Amino acid sequence: MKILALDTSGLVAGVAVTQDDRLVAQFSIQYKTTHSQILMPMMDAIRQMTGMDMGTVDAIALAAGPGSFTGLRIGSATAKGLGLAWGRPLIAVPTVDGIAYNLYGCEQMVCPMMDARRGQVYTGIYTFVPKKVNELKGEQIYDMQVLHPQCVTSVEEIAQELNRRNLPAVLLGDAVPVYRDRLEELLKVPYSIAPLFRDRQNAAAVAALAARYYEEGKTVTANEFAPEYLRPSQAERSGAEHGHEAVTAEDRKAPVRVFVREMTAEDVPAAAVLEKEYLRKEAWTEKQLLEAQARDDTIYLVAEKAGRIVGLCGIQNISGDGEITNVSVAADSRREGIAGKMLHQLLERGRGIGITAYTLEVRAGNLPAIALYERMGFRSEGTRPGFYDAPREDAAIYWLRK
Amino acid sequence: MIKIDQKTDEDGVIMMSVHSEELKLHHEHAENVKSVSDREITILAIESSCDETAAAVVRNGREVLSNIISSQIALHTVYGGVVPEIASRKHIEKINYCVTAALSEAGKTLKDMDAIAVTYGPGLVGALLVGVSEAKALSFATGIPLIGVHHIEGHISANFIENRDLEPPFVCLVVSGGHSHLVVVKDYGEYEIIGQTRDDAAGEAFDKVARAIGLGYPGGPKIDLAARDGNPQAIQFPHARIDDAQYDFSFSGLKSAVLNYINQSRMQGQEINKNDLAASFQKAVVDVLVEHSMRAVKEYGYDKLAIAGGVASNSALRAAMQHACAEQGVKFYRPSPVLCTDNAAMIGTAGYYEYLKGVRSGLDLNAVPNLPLGDRERRFHVM
Repeated sequence: MKILALDTSGLVAGVAVTQDDRLVAQFSIQYKTTHSQILMPMMDAIRQMTGMDMGTVDAIALAAGPGSFTGLRIGSATAKGLGLAWGRPLIAVPTVDGIAYNLYGCEQMVCPMMDARRGQVYTGIYTFVPKKVNELKGEQIYDMQVLHPQCVTSVEEIAQELNRRNLPAVLLGDAVPVYRDRLEELLKVPYSIAPLFRDRQNAAAVAALAARYYEEGKTVTANEFAPEYLRPSQAERSGAEHGHEAVTAEDRKAPVRVFVREMTAEDVPAAAVLEKEYLRKEAWTEKQLLEAQARDDTIYLVAEKAGRIVGLCGIQNISGDGEITNVSVAADSRREGIAGKMLHQLLERGRGIGITAYTLEVRAGNLPAIALYERMGFRSEGTRPGFYDAPREDAAIYWLRK
Repeated sequence: MIKIDQKTDEDGVIMMSVHSEELKLHHEHAENVKSVSDREITILAIESSCDETAAAVVRNGREVLSNIISSQIALHTVYGGVVPEIASRKHIEKINYCVTAALSEAGKTLKDMDAIAVTYGPGLVGALLVGVSEAKALSFATGIPLIGVHHIEGHISANFIENRDLEPPFVCLVVSGGHSHLVVVKDYGEYEIIGQTRDDAAGEAFDKVARAIGLGYPGGPKIDLAARDGNPQAIQFPHARIDDAQYDFSFSGLKSAVLNYINQSRMQGQEINKNDLAASFQKAVVDVLVEHSMRAVKEYGYDKLAIAGGVASNSALRAAMQHACAEQGVKFYRPSPVLCTDNAAMIGTAGYYEYLKGVRSGLDLNAVPNLPLGDRERRFHVM
């Protein structure tokens, strides 16, 4: 039996082909790449290098959600197109189950956590139980048992679930580095973290689990398939949650963490409000932000605090010079070091796309901002007289050269 | 005559199949169709840039063998506009049904296709990605060449479907919810934008004004309908002109004037006549669109004018253009209203002319939400 498996649910773009007990080919990339641009070329590379007729696969397996909405769309539409063209069924593997299957044979609790933003994770709890001993070979076969099915929840809740079971746990997934400190505080059970070659989405694991689904007849037609998002869209959510958004006094007391992460299209409306509040007439519009965010030569980061976007910054790479185009922080979150936190990440990530020098313009009278830039090593290299309007003011030009 | 079979799915999505004997005109009888290639070229086209999932099969660029449109409009009405995440999710659910229906209604299979054309921009990125990913998978699985098509080039090309005598060069006014462009179509696939909106698109202005006077979404058809019972001379709204760019449009001033009028009327305790207001606003928009279009035709020395895009189905615009063109001896072209809305047949037509020119897209084709018209080579570069 031949299976072609895809996983585009997170930062990893993965393709694998399995034939019976053999992993024929696997291509996996976890880098700053656009799944839409690399997924098909990866599949094509496998076809070319193996010389295999891909149309002979028995089924197309995919990580069927949850995950990044965009990623799920790309994987789903791709799998549906392949299924339609080849007349083959799809095998929908729950994303979190697929990640857990990385640790096949592990008798501890296996807890994948994917960063779901807004302080939440896509997670579940699994373990592998010995099924039967193969009399001839004496080989142990395991069944994956779902202790807590995949869901979207807070880190606190899933930690509580693990503590309640009081067994050692192995953690994996892209939320682990994000919440590492918090997990250390919360977890009362012994735990370890999966090594880097088994700690993320893995198309081969999806294929292996899919093979079991296939034997059990758990397939879906390409026409019918739709991913499991585990979350309604923002519009549906705000309709449903209307009136429940007030923050309680209890929430206020809890230490609030600020996360810096890449801006997604979903963040744009909130980011535009932030821009407007801070820059008024010079603010970028939602449309401008959306366009800028989608480009290949930009990096846009947002700071998220208690599920709210409180900071925005962005950079554009102009042949090695990084022009910092936006830095905004919400009025009620200033003087908390958020701008510095965002900028450090921005410079770090900028290097990843080939930026060697950084520049920005700032109102000459914005002393707190200038102090921050100077602390970070930026130096003034001139002014643009009367650059800003309302009130009219010079722009100071700052550069950070390495 | 165009016939539309439609049914509403359980989830509120309307599935339509557009038929017309004229659209299906058999190849041998289509003398006017310039067959540049010796053999028949059949294209499967896919469109998912906004809230319509669509697939079509088009032969030799102008013969529509099938045209399937799945419209989500009813789902978005409650939100007063298209919600991108909801639109994208629905595309995923509907895309295979549309492609399958388009092939079976055309009496074809994938193997019969010479190319797969797909809209890759401009539009909502999540929505575009569904069509693009599906088309790339189909192309990869079958080896059939892939052609990325510009959505607006598709709208312009909708005119070729019902007007077999239409050939470039001509001037085309593209007006929709997201675009207001005056375009010179120099040749197949060769476009020059000579005018565009400085602020709101024409369709956007319709939506906003409709919302302000409580007509609801979508604004275009609602205003069109109300205006039929109104007096277009009742209120004088300003006609914006831009001094240094004679073909550019600006609708935000007009929109503000309408909002001011509503506020003033309210403050003075006067009842607003919605029909008169709709008619007067519509006239102000239409006047500018017609005036600019006619000036362009004249200055470029062409004798053909076409309109395209969702707003091109506005009855007042069609009537006024028809009238102005007749007066000046200019031949006027417009697609049937159903071909003005987003559909895949128009993408198949635009894709055909790209196909003839040898344009092919790679498997790395991406959705480009802000794809500029006639500027494909530069799309990934900073200018």
